[in-house]
Amino acid sequence: MNKLLLAGLSAAFLAVSASGLAAQTKLSRNEIINSLQGAQQKVDLTADELQQAALENIRKYPGANAPNTLPLADKLASLRQFNVEITFDFDSARIRPASYETIGLIADALHTPYLQGQTFFIVGHTDAKGAREYNLELSLKRAQAVREALVTTFRVPGEYLFAVGLGEEQLRDPSKPDAAINRRVQLINLGYR
Amino acid sequence: MRRLIFAFTTGVMLVAAPAAFAQTVGYADAIKILAASCGKDIDTYCKSATLANNGISKCLEKNQSKLSEQCNADRLTVTALIQARLAAQAEVPQLCQRDAAQYCKGVKAGAGHVLRCLLKAQPSVSKKCNTAIDLAGYR
Repeated sequence: MNKLLLAGLSAAFLAVSASGLAAQTKLSRNEIINSLQGAQQKVDLTADELQQAALENIRKYPGANAPNTLPLADKLASLRQFNVEITFDFDSARIRPASYETIGLIADALHTPYLQGQTFFIVGHTDAKGAREYNLELSLKRAQAVREALVTTFRVPGEYLFAVGLGEEQLRDPSKPDAAINRRVQLINLGYR
Repeated sequence: MRRLIFAFTTGVMLVAAPAAFAQTVGYADAIKILAASCGKDIDTYCKSATLANNGISKCLEKNQSKLSEQCNADRLTVTALIQARLAAQAEVPQLCQRDAAQYCKGVKAGAGHVLRCLLKAQPSVSKKCNTAIDLAGYR
């Protein structure tokens, strides 16, 4: 009995100190909301079209690395968006426990009235190591894993969430193709539909 | 045992609660307890389970006899916290129905429009509805 109560107390303190830290350095729900809200334009672009564009980029310009950014990159860059780092098992779409909190923050943000009813792409990106088509596939599976966790366990309405994998076709820092900064999950607000 | 866990759950919520009324915590604050208390067990026993469809919680439940004491206590807390927040969010439309009719007349239904209207109308909105919005983590 005593032991159980103590376990309870330590968990409570853990929660407090961790949320205290979050205010200063760590990712917060409001940071996600502020970056994503206020979609201005209505964008005519489906997740399938974006996925297809990435595949065509590989077919049209084959080679170890993508020679140029996606034709749609400019259009995407003008939209409200946010990059998060989510860690997965090596070569797998299984989200690591270290990133559970980040998934929870995205769920918290998407549930709020500030973001409700808007359409979001969840876009997976890899670095440039490995084959491009393989990276495209892996990043799509990872984006789908994030979407599935949000929609099922945290019940974010699924009709507004679309998973896309862009592999290494849209590096965040093309001057350092293999750098960790390129490995990311991007949330993009496509506005009200 | 059940009662103890519930007592403990309330303890966490009271301490962690940011606002005066809030007796639920966000999904991030709930699920991070699972990562902290069960991270090792998840990597040992749930290598192929995923976060989707409550897969991790289900796997932990199946392997409960092998888990650390801390993980076994906290996994139930986490499930209860997530359920509490889901329930609080599901209740808002009903608890705010009257306020929505009064202060958000003519606002388009769906897509969060009414909730955004109720957030703006906070000073006029009833205590019942404002509390429901707090508990849902909508502010």
